[in-house]
Amino acid sequence: MKTGTPKHTWNHQTLAPWFFLAIPLLMYMTWVIVPIIQSMFFSLTDRDSILFQRQFVGLGNFIRLATDPTFHLALQNNLFWMISFVLVPIPVGLAIAMFFNQDYPGARWFKTAFFIPMTLSYAVIGTIWAWIYQPDFGALNTLLRSVGLDTLARQWLGDRRYMTGALIVVGIWRQVPYVMILYVAGLKNVPSELIEASMIDWASWWQRFTNVVLPMLRPATVVAVTISIIDSLRAFDIIYVMTNTKARAAEVLASYMYSSAFTFQDYGYGSAIAVIQFLITLGFILIYVNNTLKSEEKL
Amino acid sequence: MSMTTAKPIVRSAPDMRKQKALLKGAFYVGGTLLVLIWLIPVVIAVFTAGKSMAELMSSPFMWTPPRQWTLENFRSAWTNAGMARYMMNSFIITIPSVLGTLAISSLGAYALAFYQFKLNRAILIVFVSGMLIPFQMLMIPVFRFSDAMGLMNTYRGVTLFHVAFQLGFCVYFLRNFMRTLPFSLIEATRMDGASEFTIYLRIIMPLAIPSIAALGVLQFTWIWNDLLWSIVLLNANRVMTITQGLANMQGQFITNYAIIAAGSILAALPPLVVFLFFQRFFISGLTVGAEKG
Amino acid sequence: MKKVLTLILAVLVAASVFAGGGQQASGQQELIINSYMSDQAPKEAFEALVADFESKNPTIKVTVNTTAHEQFKTLLPNWLTSRQAPDVVTWFAGYRMQAFAQRGQLEPISRAFPGNTFQDSFPEAFVRASSFNNEIYFLPQSWYWWAVYYNTEVFDNLGLEIPKTWDDFLAVSEVMKQNGIAPIAIGARDTWTAGGWFDYLNSAINGMDFHVQLTSGQVPYTDPRVQKTFETFADLQTRGYIMPNATSYSWQEAATLLFNGQAGMYLMGQFIKDVAPAEVRDKIDFFHFPSFGLPGYAVDTPIDGFMVPANARNKDAAMKFMAYLATPEAQALFTVPLGRLAANKNVPPPNDDARRGLEMVLGAEGAMQFYDRDAPEEMAARGMDALLEAMQNPGRIPQILATLDQDRVRIHRD
Repeated sequence: MKTGTPKHTWNHQTLAPWFFLAIPLLMYMTWVIVPIIQSMFFSLTDRDSILFQRQFVGLGNFIRLATDPTFHLALQNNLFWMISFVLVPIPVGLAIAMFFNQDYPGARWFKTAFFIPMTLSYAVIGTIWAWIYQPDFGALNTLLRSVGLDTLARQWLGDRRYMTGALIVVGIWRQVPYVMILYVAGLKNVPSELIEASMIDWASWWQRFTNVVLPMLRPATVVAVTISIIDSLRAFDIIYVMTNTKARAAEVLASYMYSSAFTFQDYGYGSAIAVIQFLITLGFILIYVNNTLKSEEKL
Repeated sequence: MSMTTAKPIVRSAPDMRKQKALLKGAFYVGGTLLVLIWLIPVVIAVFTAGKSMAELMSSPFMWTPPRQWTLENFRSAWTNAGMARYMMNSFIITIPSVLGTLAISSLGAYALAFYQFKLNRAILIVFVSGMLIPFQMLMIPVFRFSDAMGLMNTYRGVTLFHVAFQLGFCVYFLRNFMRTLPFSLIEATRMDGASEFTIYLRIIMPLAIPSIAALGVLQFTWIWNDLLWSIVLLNANRVMTITQGLANMQGQFITNYAIIAAGSILAALPPLVVFLFFQRFFISGLTVGAEKG
Repeated sequence: MKKVLTLILAVLVAASVFAGGGQQASGQQELIINSYMSDQAPKEAFEALVADFESKNPTIKVTVNTTAHEQFKTLLPNWLTSRQAPDVVTWFAGYRMQAFAQRGQLEPISRAFPGNTFQDSFPEAFVRASSFNNEIYFLPQSWYWWAVYYNTEVFDNLGLEIPKTWDDFLAVSEVMKQNGIAPIAIGARDTWTAGGWFDYLNSAINGMDFHVQLTSGQVPYTDPRVQKTFETFADLQTRGYIMPNATSYSWQEAATLLFNGQAGMYLMGQFIKDVAPAEVRDKIDFFHFPSFGLPGYAVDTPIDGFMVPANARNKDAAMKFMAYLATPEAQALFTVPLGRLAANKNVPPPNDDARRGLEMVLGAEGAMQFYDRDAPEEMAARGMDALLEAMQNPGRIPQILATLDQDRVRIHRD
């Protein structure tokens, strides 16, 4: 329960929060909330709606989306991103967090070094990974060839069949450290005796891990999963930097929205894609908000 | 098997010590390997930037460290490719953006953390949702608004946008922190007749400094690394940021990997330094919600 | 330490607040040009041109903002609607320019050309490509041709003749392949490189009329004639004539293979010479795309130049710049070092290559501007991507074309 508010300051305090909120709310409205509403409105108008007088087309853009093969592929690719972002970074991030979660001197520095990918911009990440994927002298193919796996060498970014997969790997590379950090924070609440590895008694350790430790890590897991899903739905920078959004095979909702609205000047259509993306994300946003607010009420 | 947890196992002391040492060794070896493997891409960039053009051409394999390290590529990136100017621009945009975000979001966070009023919860949800939306949605309206206000191609324009856009996350983050401060503190000061703004400035803000620092570090990295909004809001060379410069450079020096690698490293340096110096803050900033049980 | 930091912060904050304006202080005028010329050679040629203009107009100070080509194309529409539009922008003649003129986003430049000076300077076809509704909106500067560029050393060493027909072309390719040289270079990470193949194959196989119908959206992509075009291209890959890993290379990287003799031929615009090192420039020659037996042939001849946005702030200076750009001297200043053809008909072709290029164009049955200038940009982008997908997946050509036709129906809806 909250401390009751003394009566004599009541009036004073109904005004006070608005005094503090005035600037932040005004700025947020101007640059974020109003633009979102505008975008929703644009999604109901035809292309060139901004340049000429607005032409209301109702759900026309959405109907067109229903039969657009690129949109279908973008949805499919986004789903692929989403599944990969849950299935790989969560267990890998957790495993690495458990591994690094030791009291040995210098353990902190391992975590720090491991975290470096999160501090790099996509412009930098894209450049570096393009070299790794370079088919002739890139690191990945030369590695495969040097161990005799020549047949596995591919055009990772050039071949339209592997493009999306190759991009997701880059995304995962950056996401795993993030998930790891979330779990490192979560593990602070778990008594260290519970996780201390025992070399002999693996079976009972595993049992304790699944029955006791995992449930204790639930808050961290919820945050990690929702953040990863939201990030996967927003995937854009990697695709923009590494493919310049020119290949249909790599398209996701965000990149298709960008090329429709910006490259091809169809604002209405681009906004319609954005609205769909927003609706899909909204569900996960609500889970996230609900979860964090609920955990607060428990306090 | 029964559901009992770890049976106590009786073992002799030397045995235990041996196992401990083994575990410790495994940790250091495994940790080093893990970090090395994960950072291969970064290492490759450093190697490439350190090679001369001649060496790069004679053996294009990026695995190998340079036979002879050179700083020439950094020099060319810095002067010929104009990285110096772009870096300056990035600082001019990032630092005020971070300070502005912190100042303004702390106001909003204070209001949402300490006052009970009807729309409190609704406003909080608005801020949180805004931080998680697909931000591409904002591009067209923000472009048109900035243009109408004469904010295109100005540091002001991008800075104001960054401040506004980051409010969602910052207000939410700071509010969560402020909620953990004792409410009685405020009541006591209020009884002493302090104004609401004094409470915010003299009581709450000093206590919030650790979390504000955390937020600042995080914001610095995010804003510094932004590419999309710079592309949308800045197109004159004299105001372009370093991420844009890097993208442009790839058109100009397309086959000169060494210079591009050097440029990438220069662009990555400031956020990396900030992260290494303030890593504790950085991490606590990212883990909102993951710690609470 | 703390004080120093605070001081630095204060300075930076102040700088960011005050550095925003950037207006010219004295009587000098500023002319802002946004340019896509980010490659070294054209960038330098343009800088020389600007310097010459400044020396002739000392009251005008020119600022050139260079943006990488792909980003430029995306951003230009926004700049044109912007209230702070640049004063001059680089662009392409024809359809792509007229789309902006139709929206009222361009300033007519006729007033820079009193009387008939514009019509007297440029060939009639160029005047048409620069006009919309009888108003001139575009200043043509240079033009060039697309052709098959080849490494003469490779041809000489292998005793090869320039192929005239498609069968000759395949035979030449086979010899190169046998000798360990990649017959065809293409830097298909830049998808537009496939656009040249689409234009030349489709017009050579199905004729110019069909090609025009297709690019203007009147024929479905599922037409068997289009399938033939796609299959012919995919066939080159199946035969192993296209350089390995083509879709991982930028157009410049692929050109390097042609220059050093690892590849033999490259279907490309004349600007490939911009990126050729001086020592190999003379070894690179071109021939016209081989024939499939049709009587006439078509050529890709894009025209590049400049336009003035309707929202330009310094239109007077922009008009002065337009008038200057049209002069034979200014046109020669840019086209001679690059070996392009000047749009001004009073400027002779700068070298032998250009003379031959000009002849090739004059002998053609029809001229194309390029896939992404003849068709809506989105359609062309999808089409070029589809051609590359067909190359990697020849078995799926019917499905690829069916998908492409769904795009056509959506894009050409009005």
